[in-house]
This record gives sequence, C-alpha cells and structure tokens, in this order.
Amino acid sequence: MQREVGTLPLAPALRARLAAAGFQTAQELLDTGPCGLSKEIGISREEALEALQVVRQECHGDTARAAGGSGATRKCTALELLEEEQTQGFIITFCSALDNILGGGVQLTKITEICGAPGVGKTQLCMQLAVDVQIPECFGGVAGEAVFIDTEGSFMVDRVVDIAAACVQHCHLIAEAQPEEDHGKALETFSVENILSHIYCFRCRDYTELLAQVYLLPEFLAEHSKVRLVVIDGIAFPFRHDFEDLALRTRLLNGLAQQLIITANEHRAAVVLTNQMTTRIGQSQSTLVPALGESWGHAATVRLIFHWDNTQRLATLYKSPSQKESTIAYEITPHGFRDVQPPAGTASTEGTEPNPRKRPRTEEEKQQ
Amino acid sequence: MDWDQFDLNPKTIAALKKADIKSVKEILNLSGADLQRLMKLSSADIQCLLKTVSHTLRRNSMLTALQLYQDKDPFTSQHQKLSLGCAVLDSLLKGGIPLVGITELAGESSAGKTQIGLQLCLCVQFPYKYGGLESGAVYICTEDVFPSKRLQQLIDQQHKLRADVPAEIIQKIRFGNNIFVEQAADVDTFQQCLTRLSLLLARGMARLVLIDSMAALFRADFGPAHAALKARYLQAFGAQLHSLSTRFRTPIVCINQVTDAVSESEAAQCSCRVVGSRVTPALGITWSNQLLLRLMARRLWLPPHSPAAAAAPGAGSRRTLSVVFAPHLPPSFCYYTVQLEGVKGIK
Repeated sequence: MQREVGTLPLAPALRARLAAAGFQTAQELLDTGPCGLSKEIGISREEALEALQVVRQECHGDTARAAGGSGATRKCTALELLEEEQTQGFIITFCSALDNILGGGVQLTKITEICGAPGVGKTQLCMQLAVDVQIPECFGGVAGEAVFIDTEGSFMVDRVVDIAAACVQHCHLIAEAQPEEDHGKALETFSVENILSHIYCFRCRDYTELLAQVYLLPEFLAEHSKVRLVVIDGIAFPFRHDFEDLALRTRLLNGLAQQLIITANEHRAAVVLTNQMTTRIGQSQSTLVPALGESWGHAATVRLIFHWDNTQRLATLYKSPSQKESTIAYEITPHGFRDVQPPAGTASTEGTEPNPRKRPRTEEEKQQ
Repeated sequence: MDWDQFDLNPKTIAALKKADIKSVKEILNLSGADLQRLMKLSSADIQCLLKTVSHTLRRNSMLTALQLYQDKDPFTSQHQKLSLGCAVLDSLLKGGIPLVGITELAGESSAGKTQIGLQLCLCVQFPYKYGGLESGAVYICTEDVFPSKRLQQLIDQQHKLRADVPAEIIQKIRFGNNIFVEQAADVDTFQQCLTRLSLLLARGMARLVLIDSMAALFRADFGPAHAALKARYLQAFGAQLHSLSTRFRTPIVCINQVTDAVSESEAAQCSCRVVGSRVTPALGITWSNQLLLRLMARRLWLPPHSPAAAAAPGAGSRRTLSVVFAPHLPPSFCYYTVQLEGVKGIK
C-alpha cells in the first residue's frame, strides 16, 4: 500500500506527528504495528490501534475500488464522458424553445440556476420540472422523482396538482396518437396522485436548516435512488438577511455549492436553484443583476435569467458551457410552463423536422 | 447546548466541549476543514458529527406533495385560507389569503386598501367553517390614526355582509375586543412592535397581522442617499415577518402605497405591471422579493354622466382588485365596491 500518510483520513495533529516521525506510506504504518507506533510518535496504544484500524479500512477500500474500477477519483476519456452525457437524458420543460436553448432540457448532474424578479415564473418552472422529471421513459422522460427544498413557502400544492394533471393528460394524448404497447403500461401508474407522492418537500426556515438539509441530502438520495431532481427554491432568501459578515456568507454559499455539485454527480441528479435579482447602482444607470454577489456566479453551471419585456415573459440563457447565449419567450398558462402560442390564424411555419416524441400542436387544441 | 444529549462518540463530545463550540449553528457555520483543525478530529469523525447535528436540527421534516395535498387539519393544511368575507373576492384568490407568507395589497390613496384591511380583521375572527381562523388580529398603523369609527360601523353591519353565517354566531363574536391596534411611526418603534408581536402570536390571541402601511415608514426619513440602509431594513423586516408567519401560520398583510413609474422599463423590472397602469408599488424590488402574493387595488374614474357609471352599482366608484403575482394564481382581476356594510366583489 503506497498511499501517502498525508492523504489518510486521520486527525490533522496525528498526521503532523506521523510526518515528523518520518512515516511516508500507509504500508510503513501497518508494518510498524500499534506498539511500535505508540512508542514512535508518543501516543497511547489505544489511539495507535484506532489509527491503524482507519488505515487498514482505507487500504481495503482502495483495493476494492481498484478492482471495481469506480471510485472517488475515476479516470475516463472525453469520449466516455460525451457518451455518458448523451445517454443521460434531460428533464424537459414543456417549453420547446427553452428546451432548445438549453440543448434538450435541464441537464442531469449539473447545477442550473434560475434568476428573476418576483412573479416572473421561477417557482412555476421549478414546479413544472418537479412534475416533468417523473415522465416515464417511453414518453421521453427520465422516470425519476423530485426533492423540493422550499425556503420561501411558495410551494403551492394546488398549483402542482394543476400542472401534474395537465402533464398526465398530455401523455394520454400521446398514447392515443401513437399507440404503443409500453405506453399503456406506463400510463397505468402515471397518475396525479402518483406524481404528488414522489415529490419530497422539505421546508427550511433559515440558512442553518438549509445547510443541515444539504448535509443530509446524500443520505436521503441513497435511500431514494430514483430522485433525479433537487430543487432549492430559493437559495437567496435565507442568505440575504442577518448577515453582518459577508465573508462568512460567501464561504457558506461556496461550501453549499460544492456539496450540491458532489451530490448531483454521485446521484446523477439535476440541481435547480432559484435566485433573486437585486439592483446594482452604476454610474449613470442602475441595472438588475442576480443577487448573492459576484463569486456566487461561478456556482451554477447553467444560468438562466427570466425577465419581462412589456407583457412578454422572456428567458435568457446567460451562462452555459455548451450552448450559445440566446433569449426566448415563454408563457405561464393554467397548464404550466409553455411555449408562446402563435396568434390564432397565422399557421406555424416552423420548418423543423417532425420529432416522433412530439405531437403536432393542433391536436392538443382540438382536445381541450 | 448540552452536547451529552447527542448521539455522538464520547471522544467527539469531549472535543466539542474543548473547542468551546456552543451551538449547532456554530458547527454548521464552520467548514469541514476548520472543524478538523479546531476539534483535532479526523474527517470521518467530522462527517459523522455533521450528519448527527443535521439530523437533530431537521428531524423528520419530509413531506410528500401528496401528504400536503391530503392534509385536512385546519391548522396545517395548505387549503386553509383566510377568507375576505365575500365569495367573489375569495374566488379571485382561490379561497382567500394563504396563511404562510406575506401578502401585499398595493394601491393609490382612496382605492379601498384600508377597507379591505379592516374587513380582514373581522373575517379572521369567524369560525374555520366560515373562512376565519377563530382568532384576533393585530393592526399596525404607521401613517394615520386607526379608523375606529369605520370599524364600529363595519361591526354593526356584519350580519348584512355575512348573510352566509347564522346571526347567532355573529352576535357571539366580540369583534372589537380582538383587534389589537399598534401605532408605529418610524422604523425603531416598528421593530419593537415586531418583537412584541411574537408574544401575542405565541399566545394565540391573534392570527392576522395587518400593516398599514409599509411605505409610510420609509418615505419620510430615507432619501435616495440611504438606499442601502433602507434595503437592509426592508430585508430584516421581511425576514422577521416571514418567520412569524411560518412559526404561527399567521397571514401577514402589508398595505403599500404606489409611486408613479418613471419609465416603462422600471415598471417591468419590478414586475409590478398592471396593464394600463402607470403606477408601481413603492419600496422597489428589495421589498417585492419578500412577498408571496401581490394584489393591487385601483379605483376607476368614470365620467359621472356616462352610461357605464349609471349602470354600475355604486356609480362612480368602481374599483378593481387584481392579482399581480402569486405562485398559485394567474394574473387576473375582479371589480368590487365599498359599501356601508363592507367590501363586496361584483361578478
């Protein structure tokens, strides 16, 4: 076992002593044994025994991981990553324009941040995603479950019921239009009640509760392995008051972001955060910018900004590693988050190739 | 904090005491590496510590949306709302004002905001069955004296307004005794007011907090130069009101003034848009961020001799109440009038 002493999960003081005594690898420790170790670095035999147990456990874990091929530090080529990402699937938003600029929908294993003024539709998209993540695989969904962490008290279950009912109906319409065997089977269990029972809601009243909840997330996700979406609505509210010490706030937020990234990766889940907007006063004009400061801007992989243009709601993709910056219009209808419908009379002239997963829009209108 | 109560390794507890860490909050505020250094423990021990304290803080707080939906207990259910005392207005808000969160009622002067506020103070005292919360109300005045004469008038006329409630029930409620009036003219008295408020709410004496109005606190003393300080106050008040609302499941209704929108883009930024209106609620985006639900009351000025004015009930004083934003409601509006017995919606 050639692992270095410095990388073992031991108390910092103990590590320092081991280094000072000239120990370099785990194997040396194991060879020395508890008696020798206690004499060598001046600790009690119990402590030495305990330390060796930790070392042995770690080494055992290492060999297991080496054999299994997966572990904390895993190596893979860019091609493998690409393939993995392609098979992963997306959570669709039900607004095809937004899906397009996001490159298919909200990506799993990534953090997506939605910023916007109050009332523009951030919470609506979160609720929509919490429903959409459960769409069965045969309808192009990811058949997952959702965790909804609510800090503002804006999770309105009545609204979720509306959205879920519209989503179930939509899938029924697809099944009617394209009768396939697996559709019927999937729809048997895809009901509003079923959707609701797979949205796990947590209410956090202040930032300590939010931090505690995020520490507990890995455990919860391990128990509920089908969770593919973690929503925090909103991240800004608990962190925007009672903070005299802004350095502490930045540190806590960075820690939170790091934990979320790890969780998202390990459990193959998408993380969606909402953020408020704040006024930045410039030299001549003040502008609206996302809250929580400059360094928080690095936390999310994808950042969407929702804003108004007169009476039109617009979404701008502001930051993304793979898609270009663009702006699209969307609507919030009684059924949820949707595309802007072209005004009646002007036939849609989109020249896109027909997608087998989507129905022509006319049917929906006929049915309603 | 008594660390011995925690389900932790004695070694960890000793380290906690030695490092002089006193609260769970303190632990969560420190990073993992800091904790390792302070407590001289290994990372595995720290992980275990963080998990344990997080568990004690969170307990079993998970609810599925289905549980929320099927919750029938009037104290915790999301379906329980505070009625406005009028079926038409209630249907605009899908049942009334949500119990948790801050609801804002903005509007020009004489739009009828205070009238709606007073009516809410009476409605909250009705039994659950009739849309109330079986408790009193706290009315915090910041700009004007409390309109007690109008309140008496409303109390006398309750049986006319609430034809749906049996007369004996209305007679039994001592409306005037359950409205607690506070005066707060500046931010410091308002802060003291909020501190007292938690005592009153904890005793169950009141289940509605009405603030008339939020903007008056800030209009006089805060010039443009104090914008940052004002924002800090607004955030602090918003957070305190929010936590009171959550702890006691008490709706908070804030009446707000309006300002003229300087530019169209300004109105758009604050998302205070009401079609055809040139005014925006006061206090800017900092305050808007604290809100769950924003309502806007407006008075429509009809020319006195037009046929529309003659046809409408309460001619010349037609008003609209509109939902500007809410997580569960579409932007919509309805007409209402203010009459002797109270505020009534018109279909």
